[in-house]
Amino acid sequence: MGIDVAKFDRLFNPKTAAVIGDKQALGYSWLNSMSTFKGPVYSVQIDEREIPNIEAMGYQNFKSLLDVPGDIDFVIVSVPRKFAPMVLQQCIEKGVGGATFFTSGFAETAEEEGIALQNQMQQMARDANFMLVGPNCMGLFIPGRGVRFTTQQYSGEAGPVGFIGQSGTQSMYFSLLGGAHGVKVSKAVSLGNAIVLDVPDYLEYLGQDPETKMIGMYVEGVKDGRRFFDVLKDVCKRKPVVIWKGGQTSDGARAVSSHTASLATEYTVWESLVRQCGALPVHSLEELVDVLKGLLYIKPSTGTRMGIMALTGGQAVAAVDAFAKQDFTIGPLSDSSYEELSSFFSVIGASYRNPLDISSNLPDQTVLVRILDILERDPTIDAITTELTTSLLDRRESMGEGYVDNLINILAEHRERTKKPYFCTVCPVDQEVAAIDMRDRLLARGIPSFPTFHRSANAYRKLVTYNEFLQDR
Amino acid sequence: MTQSQTLTDARDAGRTFLNEVESKQVLRDAGIDTTQATLATSRDQAVEQARAIGFPVVLKVISPDVVHKSDMGGVKLGLKDEAETAAAYDDIVASINANQPGANIEGVSVQGMARPGTEIIIGMSKDAQFGPVLMFGLGGIMVEILKDVAFRIVPLTRRDARSMIREIKGFPVLNGYRGQEPADIEKLEDTLIKLSEFVQQHDEIKEIDLNPIFAYKDGLTAVDARIILEEQVG
Repeated sequence: MGIDVAKFDRLFNPKTAAVIGDKQALGYSWLNSMSTFKGPVYSVQIDEREIPNIEAMGYQNFKSLLDVPGDIDFVIVSVPRKFAPMVLQQCIEKGVGGATFFTSGFAETAEEEGIALQNQMQQMARDANFMLVGPNCMGLFIPGRGVRFTTQQYSGEAGPVGFIGQSGTQSMYFSLLGGAHGVKVSKAVSLGNAIVLDVPDYLEYLGQDPETKMIGMYVEGVKDGRRFFDVLKDVCKRKPVVIWKGGQTSDGARAVSSHTASLATEYTVWESLVRQCGALPVHSLEELVDVLKGLLYIKPSTGTRMGIMALTGGQAVAAVDAFAKQDFTIGPLSDSSYEELSSFFSVIGASYRNPLDISSNLPDQTVLVRILDILERDPTIDAITTELTTSLLDRRESMGEGYVDNLINILAEHRERTKKPYFCTVCPVDQEVAAIDMRDRLLARGIPSFPTFHRSANAYRKLVTYNEFLQDR
Repeated sequence: MTQSQTLTDARDAGRTFLNEVESKQVLRDAGIDTTQATLATSRDQAVEQARAIGFPVVLKVISPDVVHKSDMGGVKLGLKDEAETAAAYDDIVASINANQPGANIEGVSVQGMARPGTEIIIGMSKDAQFGPVLMFGLGGIMVEILKDVAFRIVPLTRRDARSMIREIKGFPVLNGYRGQEPADIEKLEDTLIKLSEFVQQHDEIKEIDLNPIFAYKDGLTAVDARIILEEQVG
């Protein structure tokens, strides 16, 4: 629709990089973040007091970008705002692939000088068709290339999730929370003031990027709404897009004459647009990560008939309530399943109607395998979910070592065999640390889990919604 | 007069809205079913038009200043004969003068009584970021109190029209709840798509209300309609 893919490809797959203006006051955070970069990183700094420190970190320093040898694909700029246009001019002159400007103090200040500088840079970049990210942004996070905007981010191991963020903080938190949940990034951008490249440009790029299988976004507002609508509609046909909209308050008193206009508040229209395009709206960072995790680890499906396995009766009830609230069906199993279950399932202190409360069957783990196999074969069940609360499993473990290890093996083997969507709920109750450990161990075996039934049900519902959208087109 | 001509004339006259009679004419030209209304500027004219249409009829005030016609006593329903029509005309003028002194009364619209059906509201407004959007909902308290409405960005595909109708919580009502007459859902979809096409052709329109539409098991008719135009710059 409009972007130059080759230019984006160069910027988002950089082989060489330079950092301009990093300094002690920032803790040399840009050079430190770029220490993982797969390729040469040069420093540009004119301040004599900084140069020895930078050289001591092992970076070759130059007084001007124009002195740096060879082609430079990616530049991070962190200079005072009054020097920003000059540095931009050098980037253009050197023919670098693109630059992110961490430098702030532009239109976001609403000051005359800031606005004038921003307009000047916008004009320069547009005239030169230059790939300017920001200004006033954290810029790019490309773990596969080792490009980071904070040292807390991972590098080396990339994932299939593209991300576009209109807030540096939320972009950082997304990368950190996602990383902890196995939702790893292919290419992410925190876009700042977006004076040249804006949300629809990045979306169009990630939409066609073969390394990006799904896209998460944090958006506060878009400038070119029609183009955003057209691009989003197009991208959703190929890959899921999950959008967290920040700033959901109503737009206050507007001058409207019709009934329709009085009801068409900014947020209702926004959410309608997101749905109309086939994207998935979410309302928090946690939900954004949950839904992407579901899309990433749960098999694509439109099936809504759940087979629920819980460790106790109380949890079985809670699980059913949460899934029913998301319009899932928790119905009876087929006759042949009941016939088979009745041959071995101990119903004293347990129940196998669906939900299956397996309490008293827990000691014999072969029973678990049989139950999972029955649910797998049962044609009235589309998707299977298991509750694993560490506070209860602890008691099992105390009765015989290796219980939990074996349980995880059983579930992982089921996950490998199953053709049905499969995921877990690991409720922390009082054991948050143990629950995180359980989450990580499951994830290492490819099983996604969520900390509440509501979050499980919501993540799977969003997956179903997207697959229904694909089917319905 | 064609729809474009009516719109152009109103714009040329510096107006920012079409009255009910004009709005309905423009929408009918666009293929959207509405009741046919005529403008009467005197009591005698109202009676004459009512006779031509056939009783019972409805009279509604036509005034650029009156927004909530019913609340101001500007609507009279089910007028059975000439005497009632004449009296209603006088009543409307007197009520408006009393409730909203100084309002410019251009006359009344005269139209036949539409058979009651399921009340629907369809409308258009413009979003600052995304341009024209259509709204669909059930009329009456469903929209007034519960705000049970769905939106889609123009242009609407058939799929959009289908899904927005089914998105509202009151959707079961359209299938004929408890022996009520069901609504012609395909015709509602057609109406949304025609309105979307109409809106695409007319940038100069700012807002539209079709409120209420009566939906029947076969077909529908917009009983009231309002088109607001963009302010002209310069």
